[in-house]
Amino acid sequence: MQSLAHHNPAAVAVYFAGVAGIAMFCMDPVILTLSLVGSLLYFAVGGGRGGHWFGLLLFAAMAIAGPVLSHNGVTVLFVLNHNPVTLEAVIYGVASAGMIVAVLYWFRSFTAIMTSDKLLYLFGRLSPRLALVLSMALRFVPLFGRQAKKINAAQRALGLYKDDNLIDTFRGGLRVFSVLITWGLEQGVVTADSMVARGYGAGRRTHFDIFPFGLWDGVLTLTSVALTALTLAGLRQVAFTYYPAITISHIPPLGWVGYAAYALLVLLPTLLQGKEALQWRCLRLKI
Amino acid sequence: MALLAVENLTFTYPGAAAPALQNVSFSLEAGSFTVMAGATGSGKSTLLRLLKKELAPLGQLTGAITLNGTDPAAVPAAQVGYVAQQPEQQIVTDKVWHELAFGLENMGLPKKEIGRRVAEMAAYFGIEAWYDRPVSELSGGQKQLLNLASVMVMQPGLLLLDEPTAQLDPIAAADFMATVHKINREFGLTVLLAEHRLEEAVPLCDRLLVLENGALPVNAPPTQAAAALADRPELLCAMPSAVQLYHAVGGQGPCPLSVRQGRQFVTAHFGNAVRSLPAPPAVHSEKPALALQGVRLRYQRHLPDVLQGTDLTVYEGELFCLLGGNGSGKSTLLAAAAGLAQPYMGRIAVLGKPIKQYKNQSLYRNGVALLPQDVQTVFLRNTVAEELADVDLAAEELPFDLSPLYDRHPYDLSGGEQQLVALAKVLAARPKLLLLDEPTKGLDAYTKQRFIGVLRQLQGQGVTVVAVTHDVAFACACADRCGLLFRGQVVSVGVPAEFFAQNAFYTTAASRITRGYYDGAVTVEAAARLCLLNAPGKEPTA
Repeated sequence: MQSLAHHNPAAVAVYFAGVAGIAMFCMDPVILTLSLVGSLLYFAVGGGRGGHWFGLLLFAAMAIAGPVLSHNGVTVLFVLNHNPVTLEAVIYGVASAGMIVAVLYWFRSFTAIMTSDKLLYLFGRLSPRLALVLSMALRFVPLFGRQAKKINAAQRALGLYKDDNLIDTFRGGLRVFSVLITWGLEQGVVTADSMVARGYGAGRRTHFDIFPFGLWDGVLTLTSVALTALTLAGLRQVAFTYYPAITISHIPPLGWVGYAAYALLVLLPTLLQGKEALQWRCLRLKI
Repeated sequence: MALLAVENLTFTYPGAAAPALQNVSFSLEAGSFTVMAGATGSGKSTLLRLLKKELAPLGQLTGAITLNGTDPAAVPAAQVGYVAQQPEQQIVTDKVWHELAFGLENMGLPKKEIGRRVAEMAAYFGIEAWYDRPVSELSGGQKQLLNLASVMVMQPGLLLLDEPTAQLDPIAAADFMATVHKINREFGLTVLLAEHRLEEAVPLCDRLLVLENGALPVNAPPTQAAAALADRPELLCAMPSAVQLYHAVGGQGPCPLSVRQGRQFVTAHFGNAVRSLPAPPAVHSEKPALALQGVRLRYQRHLPDVLQGTDLTVYEGELFCLLGGNGSGKSTLLAAAAGLAQPYMGRIAVLGKPIKQYKNQSLYRNGVALLPQDVQTVFLRNTVAEELADVDLAAEELPFDLSPLYDRHPYDLSGGEQQLVALAKVLAARPKLLLLDEPTKGLDAYTKQRFIGVLRQLQGQGVTVVAVTHDVAFACACADRCGLLFRGQVVSVGVPAEFFAQNAFYTTAASRITRGYYDGAVTVEAAARLCLLNAPGKEPTA
């Protein structure tokens, strides 16, 4: 297996569905911790881009909002404005904040890997027709935006905006919009010609893509499915409650297996990334 | 055996008074390269579309079309490739690889086969480097090559091209032509090319068809076809410069087609005792209509400068042409002069007043008007009459007559007609400085001449005209002065005779024909006059 970006999008989607799905619907503190650590680690080593301010703010806001809004729980820490702030609510707030941030980071990594053509490939597996429509839409939407800008500039240089005032600008916007519709229809005629000229609608279509599904994609898919199943099986054996008081049930061996499986699952992309980096170092040393 | 035979084809659009095609007969040999010339509206597109059953227009058809010995309706779409004029609109999908595969998907080929054919074609066309790019990032020339490649993957037996280079700059157009010629030579693919831009295409073809008002008066190998056009000025003006020169000097012997043959023709038949024509002194007013000083402009902070300290002065009453390659900043310069893009350094003065002092859109009231490259962006209404009423324009104010077009939708007009209607809308603001962005794109030779006439008329009314263009022949024919923009700087300015005589590559075909033999003969007319001055039996007068 290689790093996720090099795998077939379907295999990658299965992986993310497992790891983020569990993180989303489970409040078990062990799972949450693993998920948070794993998502942040992978974001750091994988192709994740962008700052962390939003994540931090979200975490803080969620963690504070929890105990402020919820007054359940038996252990009162202090009273604020006649409202009790409980230990359970504080812990529950931190846990749900962790869950949200972990899911956020899983999705940030997911979008960094899944470029538009990979997503399209996924939809294409569901329906070739849908894939074509999406592909055409992905082309048309930015095209419309650019044309709107061009039309606006052309109208301005024609002197069609009489004054710098809001009503005139609004009218101008309406004009641009209406002409954009006509232009779009006109575009559509040529595009439709080009489609039938290349035999669209003449018979059954096949669907081509540039993502082969190799042996290792199968391995990745099976591994993801197996680890997710193990985690779910393990989670059935443990019970953790936040309210009214925090309780932890006895954890049977299968529970531990579940935690281990999830630990492996969250660390999998980071490990693959590390393996790849190491491999390249070795290869370079040999050269 | 003829791959395609057309016999006595007559076609009438529903409701039309006259047929669009009349008694057209011709045949294409397998593996031949045929060029079809003719002005806009002469029926080129109608004929091409009738040969492609999926695009065939509705109407009344008599005569016979035989393709590969059968009726075209029985031939699958993949067998006849068709590439139209618009590079952008023909593309269906968002990625280059998907576009290449589109036709093969329609044919229902298995994925492996598609992969092989697409890979092969991408390698052949040299598009591996942008194989997985979004199509929106491609240049116009690349888009058109992609359109050709996505037709070629289906391995057609006949390739129909409807003015494929009309929207391209000269370099991309030459690239495209070379690719088409290469395909024709290397695979023996039969090509039928309808084209306005004949300078490169005619020397390459095996047969030249000329359509005129739906009839086919000329159908012969190019040398003979070109020689037969002596008394047809409206068809001749579209021909390569060598052909025009041949007829202008009352040519004898075989008609030259290419620049090389033109040079041989001139040196074989004429001396060069008189090397140049007396040049009229260039005069211009001293009042600048547009002045740029050290203008620097970029679109985003992290992007490089598009205009890099540009200096340019255009004087009142001048017709100035600014030439330059793709990405040299030509359109940006116009946008800056029209106040649509703000430079971060330098000064722009329009009609003697800094552009920043024009407040409240006053720049566009009796000041500046810009005719954009894509003239369709100018139109807002459903008919031409409404368009003109929209801007309070009376018909008699225009230097040309648009009344035959009043009831038509602006989008249904030909490129040349659209250009004139858009120009009319632009003129309604009564500009003193008129900016034109690629005004001759997609126009046929005859319309171009008419357009030059209109510009001259405007100039007579005291309007200053600045046009940015790729079209060297247009600039040479109409400009008072020309400038070359290179990497955001104006590197040379001069009157056309000097400007194009100095340039060795960025110059007209007439100049390339006479270069080193005559001096400053940049137009066909000048070259012809020099040839006649040097005609044998005539005493040198200089």
